[in-house]
Amino acid sequence: MSIGLPDSTVGVEDHPASAEPVRDSAVPHGKSPTRIAMDRLRKDKVAVVCAAVVLFFILIAIFAPLLAKLEGADIGTFHPELVDEYGFPTFVANAEHWFGVEPKTGRDNFARWVYGARPSLIVAFVATAVGTLVGVVMGLLAGFIGGWVDRVISWVVDFVLSLPYLLFAIAMVPIVESVRGGSFNLSPDEQASTRFFVLIFVLSFFGWAGLARIIRGEVLSLREREFVLAAKAIGVPTRQVLFKELLPNLVAPIVISASLSLPAYVTAEAGLSFLGVGLIEPIPSWGQTIATATNWFKADPIYLWLPVLGITALVLALALLGDAVRDAFDPKTRR
Amino acid sequence: MLYFVARRLVSALSVVLVTLIVTFALFFVAPTDPAASICGDRNCTTERYNEIKENLHLDRPKVQQFAEYTVGIFAGRTFETSGVKQECNAPCLGFSFKNDRPVTDMLKDRLPVTVSLVAGYAVMVLTIGVFVGSMAAKRRGTLGDRALMSSTLILSSVPYYIVALMISLYLTILYPILPRGGYTPLTDNPGAWFAGLLTPWLVLGIYNCTQYARYSRGSMVETLSEDYIRTARAKGLSDRVVTYKHALRSGMIPVITIFGLDIAGSLAGAIFTERIFDLPGLGNLVLESLNNYDLPVIMGTVLVASIILVAMNFLVDVAYSLIDPRVRLS
Repeated sequence: MSIGLPDSTVGVEDHPASAEPVRDSAVPHGKSPTRIAMDRLRKDKVAVVCAAVVLFFILIAIFAPLLAKLEGADIGTFHPELVDEYGFPTFVANAEHWFGVEPKTGRDNFARWVYGARPSLIVAFVATAVGTLVGVVMGLLAGFIGGWVDRVISWVVDFVLSLPYLLFAIAMVPIVESVRGGSFNLSPDEQASTRFFVLIFVLSFFGWAGLARIIRGEVLSLREREFVLAAKAIGVPTRQVLFKELLPNLVAPIVISASLSLPAYVTAEAGLSFLGVGLIEPIPSWGQTIATATNWFKADPIYLWLPVLGITALVLALALLGDAVRDAFDPKTRR
Repeated sequence: MLYFVARRLVSALSVVLVTLIVTFALFFVAPTDPAASICGDRNCTTERYNEIKENLHLDRPKVQQFAEYTVGIFAGRTFETSGVKQECNAPCLGFSFKNDRPVTDMLKDRLPVTVSLVAGYAVMVLTIGVFVGSMAAKRRGTLGDRALMSSTLILSSVPYYIVALMISLYLTILYPILPRGGYTPLTDNPGAWFAGLLTPWLVLGIYNCTQYARYSRGSMVETLSEDYIRTARAKGLSDRVVTYKHALRSGMIPVITIFGLDIAGSLAGAIFTERIFDLPGLGNLVLESLNNYDLPVIMGTVLVASIILVAMNFLVDVAYSLIDPRVRLS
């Protein structure tokens, strides 16, 4: 870290984020709060299992094309010869189609399932990243600068938090589609990609406010602490005080909030797709498959159960992992 | 106290006002063309297009449209569709593009469904949720408590719509153990009304009971360790009186706060339940309107839901400041 004033930076440089006494590097260091939390997490069996499940789904999403190729099928090919005249698949599963085919179209279930993991994870991770970034910056600004900046940001936070988020998410779809020329004029690909970005936008738009409020509160108390006063006194620019002095102290709330919002976003993405306002064809998505599969659930249970199990396992693992992360970073929540 | 209420009221009103402006801007000022989407693309003649524009007053300046809309909410307005005048009474939220009916009337038709759903839900979470939570708090640390708490954690981590959908498909359709969801007005046939809503209530209630059980447990654990509880026990009061008369009363304050906001949120968020159990409530109205690009209906619903949420927020804040004077200072 260089802050421009070489003489006065010695102490600050060694300990950018804490007011702990200076230690020699030869003496064993105390663990940082993040290290302690990670150690706790590693000992938590539930957390390890859940992390493995999440990793499993991430790998599936990354290697989706490879897995589909391994099976010898793809997501788009119609197989009308594999469904009877009423649209029911003629078989349950075979060597070419491990989990059978879709009713009516005869597309391969397994390929669509592995590809379906992609949008869920991408939407959730991107929305979390954007929401966290905006939330942290807004919270830092509101808490540190104070005055009218704080009042404006706090008001916006209250405003966003008091909106009915599900209804707004639903309302955004027709608005954005008609901005782009109405659903009649969009090709299915254009419409699908529009929906994809609308989803990410809506989720991050409603996701940042909660975190911003938490960060603001933390910053309000941190900014009165000695190390911040010291940094200000020696003339460290505001930007560096914010990001190099304050931010490292906010790791715990940020990590907790991000890990709790991931399962919420996976749930929201699939839920909106289930309602028909999220992802649409040709992007394969679990939520949308569930909506279609409910019409066939007696004749073709695998078609329904594949995405249901996918979402349930992924969300459950992410949620329990998020809970474990919170317990690890904030031992007070353990009772 | 008066100052606090006034300040909160101003901020609540400002949120409502901005919501009104933002929704209006989103739906009518953004480069959207409602007339084109109503008219459809294939067989839309210019005449028909212009007629729609004129009827909906879309040809007027945006600011004037907004003023008319806002005035309509308080004073009502009149629309003229090809020579026929239609009255839209006081809380007028515009006319539906598709049904040629005032949005307010459509919302009024659907509101009883959603209200019935939420009312039954409220009864369930407040009785079962709170009861389970306080039982767990009393037996804190025992095997039963831990089993209960981890099972609620797992159940509440599964997405709600998955639970609801699976129960609807397997327990009401394939193996009809529970009555199928549906709506009959209470005044028509109370029995059918109850039967149709029973499964949605159970699903919505039991799923959300898990959260209420956790809140109430946390709050009760705290309350049960207070000094006055020990005093009550020392006086020789029975365990039941101590738990349910002394502790439960103050232990429920935070739970009631969450309850207030949750009920307002459920009115807006019952979409999944309504869709899965086929209940013609507000949420289903929005989904139907979405397929028709019926923007005034969606906008009206969003607006009404926002107002309900803000109003509940305000009431909870005021009620809380009555109970706990410290809130007023912050």
